[in-house]
Amino acid sequence: MEAGKGSTDLEKEVLNAGLCTSCGACVGICPYIKVVKDRVAVIEPCGITDGKCYDFCPRTLTDISELDRRIFGQERSDSSLGPYISIEMAQAKDSKTRNRGQYGGVVSALTAYAMSKGEIGATVLTKPFNESLMPTSVLVEDSSQVLSCAGSNYIASATLARLNEAMKQQTVSLGIVGMPCQILALRKMQASKHENGSKEVKLAIGLFCTWALSYKSFHEFLKGKINPSQIKRLDIPPPPANKLVVVTEAGTLEFPLDEIREFVKPTCGICFDMTSEFADLSVGMVEGVDDWNTLIVRTPEGKMIIDKAKEDGIIETKPLPEANLSHLREASLLKKKRALDEIVKRTGDKNNLLYLRLSDAELRKLR
Amino acid sequence: MSVIKIDRPGQSVLMMGNEAIARGAIEAGVDFSSAYPGTPSSEILESLARVAEHFGLYAEWSVNEMVSLEAAAAASLTGLRAIVAMKQNGVNVCSDFLMTVNLSGTKGGLVIVACDDPSAISSPNEQDSRNFAKFADLPLLEPATFNEAREMTKYAFELSERLGLPCIIRSVTRISHSRGNVELGELPERKRSPSFEGVSIAGAFVALQHAALHQKLEQAREDFENSKFNWYVGPEGAKFIIVTSGTGWFYSREAVAALGLDSEVGILKIGTTWPLPEKFIIDHLKPANELLIVEEVDDFLEQNIKVLLAEQAKTLGPIEVYGAKSGHLPACGEMNQDKVAKALATIKGVEYSGRDEAYAQRARELVQPYLSPRIPTFCAGCPHRASMWAIKSALKLDGRDGFVTGDIGCYSMGAGPAGYFQLKTIHCMGSGIGLATGFGKLGQFDFNRPVVAVCGDSTFYHAAIPGLINARFNNSNVLMVVLDNAGTAMTGFQPHPGSGIDALGEPAPVVDIEGICRAIGVPVKVRDPFELDEAIEELCDLLQEDGPKVMVFRRRCHLAETKERPQKKVFVDPDKCIGDECGCARFCSRVFNCPGIIWDPTTKKARIDEIVCTGCGVCAYLCPQGAIVIEGN
Ligand SMILES: Cc1cc2nc3c(=O)[nH]c(=O)nc-3n(C[C@H](O)[C@H](O)[C@H](O)COP(=O)(O)OP(=O)(O)OC[C@H]3O[C@@H](n4cnc5c(N)ncnc54)[C@H](O)[C@@H]3O)c2cc1C
Ligand code: SF4
Ligand code: SF4
Repeated sequence: MEAGKGSTDLEKEVLNAGLCTSCGACVGICPYIKVVKDRVAVIEPCGITDGKCYDFCPRTLTDISELDRRIFGQERSDSSLGPYISIEMAQAKDSKTRNRGQYGGVVSALTAYAMSKGEIGATVLTKPFNESLMPTSVLVEDSSQVLSCAGSNYIASATLARLNEAMKQQTVSLGIVGMPCQILALRKMQASKHENGSKEVKLAIGLFCTWALSYKSFHEFLKGKINPSQIKRLDIPPPPANKLVVVTEAGTLEFPLDEIREFVKPTCGICFDMTSEFADLSVGMVEGVDDWNTLIVRTPEGKMIIDKAKEDGIIETKPLPEANLSHLREASLLKKKRALDEIVKRTGDKNNLLYLRLSDAELRKLR
Repeated sequence: MSVIKIDRPGQSVLMMGNEAIARGAIEAGVDFSSAYPGTPSSEILESLARVAEHFGLYAEWSVNEMVSLEAAAAASLTGLRAIVAMKQNGVNVCSDFLMTVNLSGTKGGLVIVACDDPSAISSPNEQDSRNFAKFADLPLLEPATFNEAREMTKYAFELSERLGLPCIIRSVTRISHSRGNVELGELPERKRSPSFEGVSIAGAFVALQHAALHQKLEQAREDFENSKFNWYVGPEGAKFIIVTSGTGWFYSREAVAALGLDSEVGILKIGTTWPLPEKFIIDHLKPANELLIVEEVDDFLEQNIKVLLAEQAKTLGPIEVYGAKSGHLPACGEMNQDKVAKALATIKGVEYSGRDEAYAQRARELVQPYLSPRIPTFCAGCPHRASMWAIKSALKLDGRDGFVTGDIGCYSMGAGPAGYFQLKTIHCMGSGIGLATGFGKLGQFDFNRPVVAVCGDSTFYHAAIPGLINARFNNSNVLMVVLDNAGTAMTGFQPHPGSGIDALGEPAPVVDIEGICRAIGVPVKVRDPFELDEAIEELCDLLQEDGPKVMVFRRRCHLAETKERPQKKVFVDPDKCIGDECGCARFCSRVFNCPGIIWDPTTKKARIDEIVCTGCGVCAYLCPQGAIVIEGN
């Protein structure tokens, strides 16, 4: 990783360049960088020239092969989905968890299970709706609170800021659920030469993600149409539905996805990762099957939890149909290709990939 | 016991100039007193309020100088004697009423004390309020000594009553705020009973009223011809005369003595500077062929004397006049003995070195090690520091290059490092919101930078409400932040309509700031600025709203707080402090910069300066490491 850069560079290269994902990795470390809603800003330059913020950020130089080697012990063989051990369909066995969960409730079920088994002492989660359109990050210290964070809010949340704060105080091992950019930042923290508590994160569950929305424009769009504090659920059903479903206490509304796309964060257009490739476990939907999840097991630590959870009847799994798998591959590859095109469009130089560093072999496969 | 209460006529007592003015009012049997606080005038009403009960007089802190003068004028209209005190900017505020009550006239003695702040030590401007006397055709008195301040005030009531006109006394910082001997006069029995008959209407037969006003002023001039406040000292038939008023009297005397010019330079001291006692002046200037005019701030006296000289050219012959126009003395800044001596020495061609520069340099070097370098900043524990940080943070997070319009109060320092250079405009009371309403309407010209107007609680009542109403009426995009520290902190914590007590310290109804905002129809939020994260988030949310909106940052001035409650002990846990490292980089002592926190370069840790710290504890909230501990928490 590049050394010798600090908050001033972060501001210039990431924040002012519109690359910030609002992951929160740079927030909560120091008093200089703050977030409100999903807007991150350097309030005042701190003067440090080799800072954690720059080092942790998922949009500063990121060497994919090096991370692969660090986390998985080898470089990826699968260019579309990243390193993995297995891919299956999974579902929480508890019906309440399934009902509260976005799809199969696997994320919530596994999180609560890992906590109750003492694998992790607390988890950083994101409460999707808390009488506001903006999700809030929370440190959950009791497995019974996990379900209160079930469901998806498509607005980017600076969840890692909560992790940074937790790491300053927390003495127990931690878990985290995050988007691909957040899991990437977590891995950069763990790889950083700067001391931080992220080695205490023992379970990283990554969500699938095509894009996230920015609060301000989406809020403006919804204003007058619904009362944002009454939202109970957001959903983007699989193609060909092509819509965003908003469930509120007052009823359900649907918006064509094409209307929503303009609120997508600009940085999502250069995002290379759809399936949280650096997580222990990655979870997404299964196209066409409502209350099941796609589950990618990537690390031995992830596999161990899944095996135990199956044994203890927390989740059940079954093979993911071949058609779904190839669809997933296509979608993920498409995101990568689009990202590369968009990056080159922005830099005007096909050798300047902004934050991304890919091996020549990988690049050839993708181009 | 208050010195102005002492009942021993003839005794000499050490008094502050403002107390001498208050004593003069007491000796005149003043019934009614009102003021809005402002340096260097505040102690006049403070002194009167302290003895109000004792003498049975009325004293109030008014909401602003205009209302203050109007209230005092009402008392005068019933035949009571009334005094109103203000700083120079206050004269501007009340000038609208002043320019009409001069026409309609008054009844009981009405004295307006205008205290100018030359060099603007505590003001946004420097101004010579004497011009208002000429502008409004009102008699003007300028005390030169402390005892004269007392005597003049007493006389001003009598004159005002005789003429049926308000009378203006012009003081300056070095009169108002210095101390000197004052000879006590008799304390009268107050016996006036008010009645209001007839009408007091300006604007009816204005031309007649105006002509009558000029006649009254002529009467004043006649009175001034034999005034004891005008005198001459020096050799008979002096060819060189210093004409001076106010503080210039002492400076001139010292300068003449220092240069050893007593035998050739005379001093004509004028206490009644508008209208000028023309005959008196002409008589004394007859032998002279050179004049030096010494006064503080504008060349007010100089110009009026020059007019007189021109009119009397036949009698007086050619006289050379030195002063501001000739460049010998500045028409700005505080006057002093040195400036006068230099001017005099230049004109007379004598040696004068003033204070030896080498000596001054040595004195500075000797003292320097004992002075800690300090920028003008908010006190330790001041809520404004947190408010400014919140505003800075919110504007940065908002990301649209928003900026702040400032107003008058402690928080004016927010234009400098104390407030992280946030304030981009500062003018007069209420101008922050006024300017903001304009900036907030420039969207149609593609000027879309968010604008935040700050104003203090006292300023809010004083002058900001019309601006806010304008913002609402014209739907201007402004965020007004009321920095409510529960008092008029800048001038010494005088109560205001939100304080719940009056000038005498008695309980008073509270005029609720939020209630006013709501009544205007503007959304209003209230936050403790020490809860910074919430405060910042709320500001960011408000900035997103169109139209006017108000945030009240409410936290009492911590100095006032510690007077009533024992202050908490705060300390730094050196094991937790990470100092220069990434994650802090000396945030508390270098960036947030409360003077209560110091950086210890030997241990490379922050430390609390126990002498300066007021125990407010906001740094404990801000420290990223939780290294700052509040004892007992
Ligand atoms: C912005 C976003 C985009 C997504 N895009 C896709 C996609 O394109 N394809 C796909 O298959 N799946 C996507 N998902 C994932 C999907 O919505 C489900 O979260 C996932 O399938 C897990 O389902 P579950 O039933 O196990 O979830 P649950 O058991 O309900 O758990 C959901 C978890 O998500 C976390 N969460 C909710 N909102 C956020 C947020 N804004 N930021 C971070 N964490 C959050 C909560 O902490 C909770 O633990 C996306 C999720 C998000 C938040
Ligand atoms: S670390 Fe995350 S929040 Fe901070 S600048 Fe980078 S992407 Fe944005
Ligand atoms: S698309 Fe990428 S950058 Fe955008 S929210 Fe999802 S993971 Fe983060």
